[in-house]
Amino acid sequence: MASLQGYLIVSTALFGIGAFGFMARRNAILMLISIELMLNSVNLSLVAFNAFIPGARNAGAIFALIVMAVAAAEATVGLALVIAIIRTRQTPEVDEYDDLKE
Amino acid sequence: MLAVGILGGGLAVVTLRNVIHSAVAMMICFGSLAGMYALLGAPIIAAAQVLIYLGAISVLILFAIMLTQAGDASLPAPFHRQAPIAVVIALVVVGLVAWAVVTTNWKAAPTAAVVAIEAIGTLLFTDYALPFEIIGFLLLAAIIGAIFLARRPEEDERAN
Amino acid sequence: MELLIALIPALPLAGFLFTVAVGPFLDHVPAYGHGAADHGVGDHDSASHQPDSHEIVAVAAHDTHAPVDESSFRTVPAEEEQRLTSPHFGHADDLANAEGADGVIPPELADGRGQTGHVVPGAERPRYRSWIVPTALVGLAWVFSMVVFASVIFGGNTYRVTVYEWIVAGDFHVTISFLVDQLTAMLLLVVSTVGFLVHVYSIGYMDGDRGMWRFFAHLNLFMLSMLLLILGDNYLMLYVGWEAVGLCSYALIGFWYKKPSAAGAAKKAFIVNRVGDVGFSLGVMMIWTTLGTLSFTDVFGKIGGQAELTVTIIALLLFAGAVGKSAQFPLHVWLPDAMEGPTPVSALIHAATMVNAGVYMVARSNPIFSHAPVAMFVVACIGIFTAIFAAAIALTQNDIKKVLAYSTVSQLAYMFTGLGVGAWAAAIFHLVSHGFFKGLLFMGSGSVIHGAGGEQDMRFMGGLREKMRWTYLTMVTGSLALAGIPILAGFFSKDEILGETFNRGYGLFYLVGIVTAFMTAFYTFRMIYLTFHGTWRGVAEVWHHVHESAATMVVPLQILAVPTILVGLLLGIPPESGLIHQWLNPVFEHSEHAGIVAGSLAASGEGFSLLGMGGLLLLVGAGVGAAGIWLAYRWYVADPAAPARFVARIPFGLGPGMYAASVNKYYVDDLYQLVFARGGVLLAEALWWFDAKVIDGAVNGAASLAQGIGRGLRRSQTGRVENYGLGMAAGLILVLIVYVVVIR
Repeated sequence: MASLQGYLIVSTALFGIGAFGFMARRNAILMLISIELMLNSVNLSLVAFNAFIPGARNAGAIFALIVMAVAAAEATVGLALVIAIIRTRQTPEVDEYDDLKE
Repeated sequence: MLAVGILGGGLAVVTLRNVIHSAVAMMICFGSLAGMYALLGAPIIAAAQVLIYLGAISVLILFAIMLTQAGDASLPAPFHRQAPIAVVIALVVVGLVAWAVVTTNWKAAPTAAVVAIEAIGTLLFTDYALPFEIIGFLLLAAIIGAIFLARRPEEDERAN
Repeated sequence: MELLIALIPALPLAGFLFTVAVGPFLDHVPAYGHGAADHGVGDHDSASHQPDSHEIVAVAAHDTHAPVDESSFRTVPAEEEQRLTSPHFGHADDLANAEGADGVIPPELADGRGQTGHVVPGAERPRYRSWIVPTALVGLAWVFSMVVFASVIFGGNTYRVTVYEWIVAGDFHVTISFLVDQLTAMLLLVVSTVGFLVHVYSIGYMDGDRGMWRFFAHLNLFMLSMLLLILGDNYLMLYVGWEAVGLCSYALIGFWYKKPSAAGAAKKAFIVNRVGDVGFSLGVMMIWTTLGTLSFTDVFGKIGGQAELTVTIIALLLFAGAVGKSAQFPLHVWLPDAMEGPTPVSALIHAATMVNAGVYMVARSNPIFSHAPVAMFVVACIGIFTAIFAAAIALTQNDIKKVLAYSTVSQLAYMFTGLGVGAWAAAIFHLVSHGFFKGLLFMGSGSVIHGAGGEQDMRFMGGLREKMRWTYLTMVTGSLALAGIPILAGFFSKDEILGETFNRGYGLFYLVGIVTAFMTAFYTFRMIYLTFHGTWRGVAEVWHHVHESAATMVVPLQILAVPTILVGLLLGIPPESGLIHQWLNPVFEHSEHAGIVAGSLAASGEGFSLLGMGGLLLLVGAGVGAAGIWLAYRWYVADPAAPARFVARIPFGLGPGMYAASVNKYYVDDLYQLVFARGGVLLAEALWWFDAKVIDGAVNGAASLAQGIGRGLRRSQTGRVENYGLGMAAGLILVLIVYVVVIR
């Protein structure tokens, strides 16, 4: 279908979108979602490499699986944290979490 | 088409006001990604994507949103003051990486190869056995951590 | 003999230490609570009064009750009169007493008697004993000095006594050792004799002063320093003594330390001295670096082999020290102000000993100077200029001690002129005779001041010869000597210097010297006539109290009058080859013909002849002296309006201006005050401004900068995760840029 570079461009674009979402949105959960997006973009590029580069011997696929597992674990713990914080502060706006401010 | 789904979903995620709508858009995005994996000749990954992301993580996120909603609180402004800068930075990043991607000679094969499921299974238990085990531990730690973090305070006393 | 020599300075050292330790306990002065009483007129008559423990030496005329012509008496406001007639005035220092410094004891406590002359029951007499030990030790030192003197001069011996290895540091090797040759012996004579007499004089002069033990301690310390200076056999010992006499001079000038003018004068003396001492120490250091030794004999042996420029520089640097110490122009300004100290101090330090240190040093260094004719010429130039300069100031001074102070500067200048033209022995001869008659004159002036109730201004004196016979006679003797009248000491010594100056070809210097001699005679006898002749011009009440001074003060005067008369005859005949020349020959023989002007009668071998040029010069000198005395008589006794007429007749209306210039010391002090004192203050203020604004500004600015940067940077710590995320992304961009630019 498309060439490797096409897939990579898509992956990059998704990553940029995820980065933008992380930096620009105020809701804590949305930030986590953006992180998931970024991780997925990486997964996409890994699988694309795995498909198009001969001699990879499926290392890309394995790595993608591992990334998925790690992302899952991270989402779990992250969401637990966010839930705890939102419960304490009564607000999901990260603007308000400035207790460590100088 | 799938690319449209991916990117469109992504954009929707980051721009929609309502968090739940964003979560749904995320699911669309994940689904498109699964399709793309399949196109890339890695159906096992596609299956894993569907199972893990669409089945577990998205649900998890929706639960989290549900648990922390303030009811019918009014929706405040979605974007920070620093959103414009974030746009710029994101564009710069994308631009640079894209440029790098485009200008590299990847020595790539013209078509996608197909991944054999048995090969992945074999690799998981031989060459990549150690990472496999470690992932197990990581997931265990994540579970314990999540349980502990999300406890309610009165359960704490009862546990003591 | 060596032991005696080592003891000579040790005795005053012991005296100093003893007096400092025990002195305060030897003077018992009862405290007084009531203020100084008012002293009326009537309780002082010639019998009971003089409440300080002076006795009247009843000589010729005493207080009479014969009617006195009071038309010349001065009138002053009542408070001033009370101050002037108060027994406090002038005894120690009325100002000091008012501020509680060591000062006088109110008369009613001084001898236990009150105002009415009766003994006040329960009052204690003060008891001064701190003078006993110092004076005795100095007297003993005098005896030893005379023994040594006799041995050296008459026996022809020279002694070197090494007492202690002081500094042994690699190449630098200095011992404390004494060298006694004929030059040292002559100085010993002057220093110990006048020193001892001043100690005796001070017993009477400082009577009633609470600080008597301090005074004698300082006097002894001074004797020690001066003796070290003249006895030392190397430049370092000379330097130690040099500095120490400067210190003692500071202590003694500022003896009445609570009086601001005295404290200021002491500081001025020390600082101006120090200016000269910089040059001196540089000269000593240069001697060390050039020759590697500081011992006199070694230095003089090696100096001949050095380049003339080096020797000239060394000589000039050494002379700079002498300019400071001996108060030559331009460092003369401290000596007149030093008259703030008690008169015995003036007599000892500023007439007979300390100021002679410069002359001694130059004379001792004659081998160095003889190899540097340019330096000798400089010495002579400064000498002769200072002579006439100081004389020109002395012409118009009204304070009796200031006249003598400037006279000292002028006579010292004569000595330097003598040294500069190569008349070494003549200069030392003048040093010796000047020491005697100037010491006499100073002590006499102290007697006058004491007797006149503390008045020092000659305009308010007059007619004292009736009431102070011995003081008058001795002071006239001293003045005749100073004026250079034949027979007396000054004639021989001063005219020898002038003669040598002429003979060696310094014609212009001779002329200046003759004019100065005329001025010297004039101002000296102006002083005599104003003080002793005519009628009393002071306050009437003071006149009633005028009396001859106590024996402890008059006897030293009488004693000093003897060498004043005889020294010239004994040592100076025949001129240019008298005894003193023979005695000092071994010291100066190699430098006899030094000097920048080559031709001289002496060099050509012709000796002095009474009927030839030498005699003519003597005649001129004597004539000029007599002329000065005559003019003073005309202007201050016969025709008191004459000076004013003369001033008015000076062409171009310069008269008043010249008078003002002379009275104001030709504004040298004002110049120094402006340039150095004000300049120093301005410089200090400028530096303070720099320090406060620039340096502190920089330091504080650095601190503020750090604070500001911190404040700015702190704003990035928002505590918000989105801001940190932005930061991370920015870092990511940087890495990407590096990748793209560098690696690609």
